[in-house]
Amino acid sequence: MATHKSSGQSGRKKVQVSFVIRDEVERRHRAGVNSLQYDAHLQRLYSAGRDSIIRIWNCKNMKEPYIQSMEHHTDWVNDIVLCCGGKNLISASSDTTVKVWNAHKGFCMSTLRTHKDYVKALAYARDREQVASAGLDRAIFLWDVNTLTALTASNNTVTTSSLNGNKDSIYSLAMNPPGTAIVSGSTEKVLRVWDPRSCTKLMKLKGHADNVKALVLNRDGTQCLSGSSDGTIKLWSLGQQRCISTIRVHDEGVWALLATENFSHVISGGRDRKIVMTDLRNTERYTLICEESAPVLKMAMTPDQGSLWVATSDSSIRNWVLPKRDCQISGDAGEEEVLKPLNVKPELTIKGGPAVRHYQILNDKRHILTKDTENNIVVYDVLKASKLEDLGPADFEEEVKKRFKMVYVPNWFNVDLKTGMLTIHLGQDENDCFSAWVSAREAGLAPNDIVDQKVNYGNLLLQALLEHWWRPLQVDEDAECQGDQQAAGQTRGGNEYFSVPGHTPVIFSEVGGRTLYRLLVRDAGGETEGLLLNETVPPWVVDIVVEKNLPKFIKIPFYLLPHATSGVKSLKKDRLIANDFIQVRKVAEHVYEKVLGAGSESGSVAGPSSPGADRPDPDRQETSSIAEDRVELLCNDQVLDSNMDLRTVRHFIWKSSADLTLHYRPLK
Amino acid sequence: MGANISQLERDIGSDQFPPNEHYFGLVNFGNTCYSNSVLQALYFCKPFREKVLEYKARNKRTKETLLTCLADLFYSIATQKKKVGSIAPKKFIARLRKEKEEFDNYMQQDAHEFLNFLINHINEIILAERHQNNAKPKTGNGDPQTQQEPTWVHEIFQGILTSETRCLNCETVSSKDEDFFDLQVDVDQNTSITHCLKCFSNTETLCSDNKFKCDHCSSYQEAQKRMRVKKLPMILALHLKRFKYMEQYNRHIKVSHRVVFPLELRLFNTSDDAVNPDRLYDLVAVVIHCGSGPNRGHYISIVKSHGFWLLFDDDMVDKIDASTIEDFYGLTSDIQKSSETGYILFYQSRDCVQ
Repeated sequence: MATHKSSGQSGRKKVQVSFVIRDEVERRHRAGVNSLQYDAHLQRLYSAGRDSIIRIWNCKNMKEPYIQSMEHHTDWVNDIVLCCGGKNLISASSDTTVKVWNAHKGFCMSTLRTHKDYVKALAYARDREQVASAGLDRAIFLWDVNTLTALTASNNTVTTSSLNGNKDSIYSLAMNPPGTAIVSGSTEKVLRVWDPRSCTKLMKLKGHADNVKALVLNRDGTQCLSGSSDGTIKLWSLGQQRCISTIRVHDEGVWALLATENFSHVISGGRDRKIVMTDLRNTERYTLICEESAPVLKMAMTPDQGSLWVATSDSSIRNWVLPKRDCQISGDAGEEEVLKPLNVKPELTIKGGPAVRHYQILNDKRHILTKDTENNIVVYDVLKASKLEDLGPADFEEEVKKRFKMVYVPNWFNVDLKTGMLTIHLGQDENDCFSAWVSAREAGLAPNDIVDQKVNYGNLLLQALLEHWWRPLQVDEDAECQGDQQAAGQTRGGNEYFSVPGHTPVIFSEVGGRTLYRLLVRDAGGETEGLLLNETVPPWVVDIVVEKNLPKFIKIPFYLLPHATSGVKSLKKDRLIANDFIQVRKVAEHVYEKVLGAGSESGSVAGPSSPGADRPDPDRQETSSIAEDRVELLCNDQVLDSNMDLRTVRHFIWKSSADLTLHYRPLK
Repeated sequence: MGANISQLERDIGSDQFPPNEHYFGLVNFGNTCYSNSVLQALYFCKPFREKVLEYKARNKRTKETLLTCLADLFYSIATQKKKVGSIAPKKFIARLRKEKEEFDNYMQQDAHEFLNFLINHINEIILAERHQNNAKPKTGNGDPQTQQEPTWVHEIFQGILTSETRCLNCETVSSKDEDFFDLQVDVDQNTSITHCLKCFSNTETLCSDNKFKCDHCSSYQEAQKRMRVKKLPMILALHLKRFKYMEQYNRHIKVSHRVVFPLELRLFNTSDDAVNPDRLYDLVAVVIHCGSGPNRGHYISIVKSHGFWLLFDDDMVDKIDASTIEDFYGLTSDIQKSSETGYILFYQSRDCVQ
């Protein structure tokens, strides 16, 4: 017996295994884009997606702008900053991590797990190569970028400074380039200002009536702009610790701000989809630059300040032309004319893809139909982690109805659409991933001509997801492996029926919480990956994948009584217990053999509780066909199809939480 | 009869004694003051009393339910020859003990739990009877609709709360309505009912492990949630949450904080789309808890009848001065263990007075 090293998981929350069903290369954003960074030297645009992917775009080739994806996050990427002259990128995500990337090559160099909740905002002081991160855990951490980029696997401890005093979740953050001031905005509705050099509190600025979602500081840290969910933009003097002016150019929350280099103008966007440029010296003078198709989340200016890249909660990124600063076009707010946007059409568009927004799990608990934001319907096979069929734009309800099957299989996974892609969670919560036992033959996994095997969906899938994981066994030297197949003290995963696509991302995370580890199915064979998996894979998965233990069968208790019209008198009300996948045929067999006394015994023995595989009983076929001819079973007075299993009978015919009751009736 | 005129009649004055009104105490059957105090309060909620008596008049011979027992009890008080005295609610208590296991003993019960049970149970009886009557002539025709139609219990006690949740990410507001028969408010030291109601409608932030699943964002996000009153009931029952579970003692401790309840009340925690936000309420009855904890002590009630206040302590009835109501606000210090404090307040809307 192999004993595995305890992986230090005691005290942690329960760990679940998740995977994403997607294309190998996802060239387009699948959901909203939360943040943008523009690299002026390479003319590249970096975009942070809610689909968990950061993409790099070549703005010199707008026909085919996609360069590559930076994948390692497992939830929304909320903010990114480009630092070290474009060499490195730092990202903040709802998976609670901050990641450091090689921006040119697009790989993840290290992961910082200091935050305890969604990381919502980053701020960057260019002159000092310092980055600050903040989020819903109310904490702000300051990072020295040069230290972060020097991190290696062995030297991976970072010391950070933290800024304390925040009372509420932080949604925005700004630092000036020399790093002499940092401001945070939160649901507390006040702006808090610190000196990042000494980590001392400088002031609190009160005035907003709601959450503060966007902040900009000027170069010397004397002025600050804030955008709030209360719909206003405020210009603050940090020297005087007061609000200098309040700008009301939006109908709803202001979520994105951008200031021109000399702080002469502010460009703002938000929930009302409008992008407005306001003259800060005379806030009555403002221009409507454009109206986006969805709420504005982030803006980035091109270096010539001639155009603007805009990210919204829609997946496309658009470029809009900015007016020349010296010729103010509109601006007489006194006149009550409807403000016409400067641009009707964007200059450039990086087209995004549709996000999966609705799903329906079919009764077989294996296939899922989804509908995306463009009304495309797709059929997925969860068991094989792959897409089966693109139905294009179709009627969702109709397609679901078309695929209705009267079978009942217990729920064994949870579906998550937060990234706009189909994510499946396997856990041991109310949807236990080992609850679905099915016939391999009926599931189309095994040919019809062999003895039927019962298989467990969760079991097979976990084995397939970890197929490439070679797990060194921790065997004592003297307790030699009982000299058999497990050569070199290693065990091989996988299942005998199928594999899942190698590009499938597998994620280990605490239930409803932090991500512990993400890797691709095909990479599990690597040495580093193997070691990390040894640390991360929870015992309940090890038990299945390594120890090859079978999950427990799910039992159904039921009563078996003669039907009123059968003429059979029964003295006892037998309570039987059987596996939930047992077919009505087997119960008929039991009635024929044991109850009606066609067999040998008296008939009061426990019910049909067969093992997972039906016994390769040569007589079985014969007995059961005789039984089928001699006995019929009913539930709620409805004659049951002998191919139906007990859980389906309970779900579709019995329809009650009380113990299932079946009636039998001998046939002449 | 003139000789044994009671103290109460003397206090009120025979010429002042309201015609057709009876003040009868209820005999205690061993810790049944939780029931007596609530029944007295309900008896003096005029719209409720009238509906119960109406029910009694309409339903001559039906099978015994808690409602028929209550109707009989109210009827017997209302038809007494004497103006004052006491009566034994024997049948009602016996029925109550049959209906609900928790009440089938001689222990002190929570008056609010009893009120809650009684109102819901009566409502169910009415619905069940309506269902039966409808089922007879035509089978199930238009049934769901009549089931949805409000009963007189709804008409008297039911209000609507609306809970508005705003996702902090997309700032979409979603709202959901729910019915209530009473509002349960937390009590803070040296405050008023208005303050308690304000706290009741304070914004709560759903965050950390308790995030909101936003349909719009397809993910868990922080959200702000608040509950406000959308439809104000005819009779507003306010339950002051005075029994607080204390982990360190592993039991409920009485919170005797002083909370002023005014004779006149207006609600300020109404939603923007409220149907009748301007309702003005008058205090008509108060169930008072006397003692130090939920499982000990005593319940009494004070009620307003024809302009003066009466105190019902089981079988005893006394006229009290309105100024003594202050004595039931609670204690300003936590030193004393025992207190006599308002526990359930019944406010009646002024616009429903016939």
